[in-house]
Amino acid sequence: MADRGKIPSSLRAGAVLLLVLAALALGAPLLATDLPWIARDADGLSFPAFSAMLTATSGTLPDGAESPILAAPIPHGPNRVDLRSTLVPPMSGHWLGTDDLGRDLAARVVHGARVSLGVGFLSAAFALLVGVPLGAWAGYRRGWADFVVSRAVETVLSFPTLLLVLAILAVASGWLARLSDVTRLALVLGLTGWMPIARYLRAEFLKLRESDMVSAARAVGGSDLRIAWRHILPSAMAPVLVTAAFAVGAAIGMEAALSFLGLGVRPPHATWGVLLADSREQIDRAWWLALFPGVALFGAVLACNLVGEGLRDLLDPRSGRR
Amino acid sequence: MLRVLGRRIATGILTLFLVTLFVFLLIHLSPGTPLAAAMESEGLTQVTPQIRAELERLYHLDRPLHVQYALWLRGLAQGDLGRSFHDRRPVAEKIRERLGISVAINGLALLCMVLLAVPLGALSAWRPGSWLDRYSSWITYAAYAIPVFWAALMLQIVFAVRLGWLPLAGLDSDGWESMGMVQRTADRLWHLILPVACLSLGGLAYLSRFVRATLLENTAAETALAARARGLSSLAVMLRHGFRQAAVPMLTLAGLLLPAVVSGSVIVENIFAIPGLGRLFVDAAFQRDLPVLMALTLLSGAATLLGILAADLTYAIVDPRIRRG
Repeated sequence: MADRGKIPSSLRAGAVLLLVLAALALGAPLLATDLPWIARDADGLSFPAFSAMLTATSGTLPDGAESPILAAPIPHGPNRVDLRSTLVPPMSGHWLGTDDLGRDLAARVVHGARVSLGVGFLSAAFALLVGVPLGAWAGYRRGWADFVVSRAVETVLSFPTLLLVLAILAVASGWLARLSDVTRLALVLGLTGWMPIARYLRAEFLKLRESDMVSAARAVGGSDLRIAWRHILPSAMAPVLVTAAFAVGAAIGMEAALSFLGLGVRPPHATWGVLLADSREQIDRAWWLALFPGVALFGAVLACNLVGEGLRDLLDPRSGRR
Repeated sequence: MLRVLGRRIATGILTLFLVTLFVFLLIHLSPGTPLAAAMESEGLTQVTPQIRAELERLYHLDRPLHVQYALWLRGLAQGDLGRSFHDRRPVAEKIRERLGISVAINGLALLCMVLLAVPLGALSAWRPGSWLDRYSSWITYAAYAIPVFWAALMLQIVFAVRLGWLPLAGLDSDGWESMGMVQRTADRLWHLILPVACLSLGGLAYLSRFVRATLLENTAAETALAARARGLSSLAVMLRHGFRQAAVPMLTLAGLLLPAVVSGSVIVENIFAIPGLGRLFVDAAFQRDLPVLMALTLLSGAATLLGILAADLTYAIVDPRIRRG
């Protein structure tokens, strides 16, 4: 089935890029913070940034910290306003420059990765949670189950996704108000993104349910649930994984678009979409505000697409190499 | 053929109603009355019970849900889409005055996509594996991952702010009213260059990759091989055998790209301050303007379904095997 000889270069490149971004996202509280990594205070050395992360307190500089010895690579918090250094260009005290309130762009981009990747992966998880059972059910049962699921898939797929998401966010605000921004977006994106997963899984199930493997399992008395779960699903997961990788990328792009329009994650929370929206006010003064968050966003989407494409080549050599 | 077409249209209409019903139920079943949500978004929180009751009666919000939906359907049949919660104007009127510009932008973007993607894909398919092919493959692959709004921002910075060649936003220059016919059109087109470029970028990348794949497949077919053996050049084979086979799936795909283009135009209209339907939709989403949201959802769904239908039709007309199927 799978050609396990060689890992496609697209998969390797995408995976490396994604891992770097994930490391930035996870390490953001440590990488971009006002607090020094090592400082000397009254009773010897202390590690303010590390202890702040462990106790999950936000980074305000404690008065006790006398002299910092080693600062963080990006020695600024994401929401630290500094009106003495506004709109500073890149590479002059701030790696990627500052915005109109003097907030450090590098710190904001790194912290934005947390939201973007969080929404991306969480929404793909939601999509799998809905799409896998529905697709399996439709493909295994056929008949009216298949009819219902297929119609639902077609219905949602035939609409411009952005419009549907905007409408749901606007219309169901009463229900969604209690959720955090990340969960709310991931939920809505997952609920509008499960169709490709269901569709591919359904096709695999339709094919595999006629296979000898399944007849054999049925002959020895396996129940439907057991056959579907233990025998068909493992063989049918390849296209699902590929679709899920693309779904992560699509969700990251969609989150940024929604935040950009003002209906996603709300400021002052730094996310790539919010940063890009803010950059519009400074468009004739500060090009860096538009460039760097966009590069990060583009990199994340590209990484997911590369992983998806690479997985497809790896798991199904026939469909690739065209 | 007719039966297939009829079934397509019937399921299409069913789909449309399912979605409007979905949006309708969502807004009415989620906590808080729709009118309260709409008024809250306009800062009107202190309204006397009488006025509230009057407004609710005006919008039929005091009737049971199924009656409200039936009333909406009846209005629809009479061409009446209700009145906006926001400015109390008829929704149909609001849509009519913005429809033209959105159709123009989306149509131009689709046209650009097809006109550019075909030669681009053909160039890479002509000499597969050449440097031209490899670079254009990489570029189109990257272009596919570029978010529309970021592309728009960067193009604005380069072409409007730095170089000053193109306008930053808007639809026409100052003094547009006093221009002559030719000047007006030229000015419009000048303003539309950036928005249309942004909008066609993603689809262009997708379509040109598809053109390349289809052409390669068809020039590798046996008929094409035979033509090569007869002494035709590779270019001639591609043009004669490749394109004839590839034309239909290309058209189909262009139809299927319509939903993505419509999504993109929502963003592009917002960035470039173009008063089209995309702007209206986002504004309505902010204002929780139910009648406008319902009407635009219906309209965009109808447009994409028509696109798919048109794609199916061209397919059936060109390929006799499908007509009988």
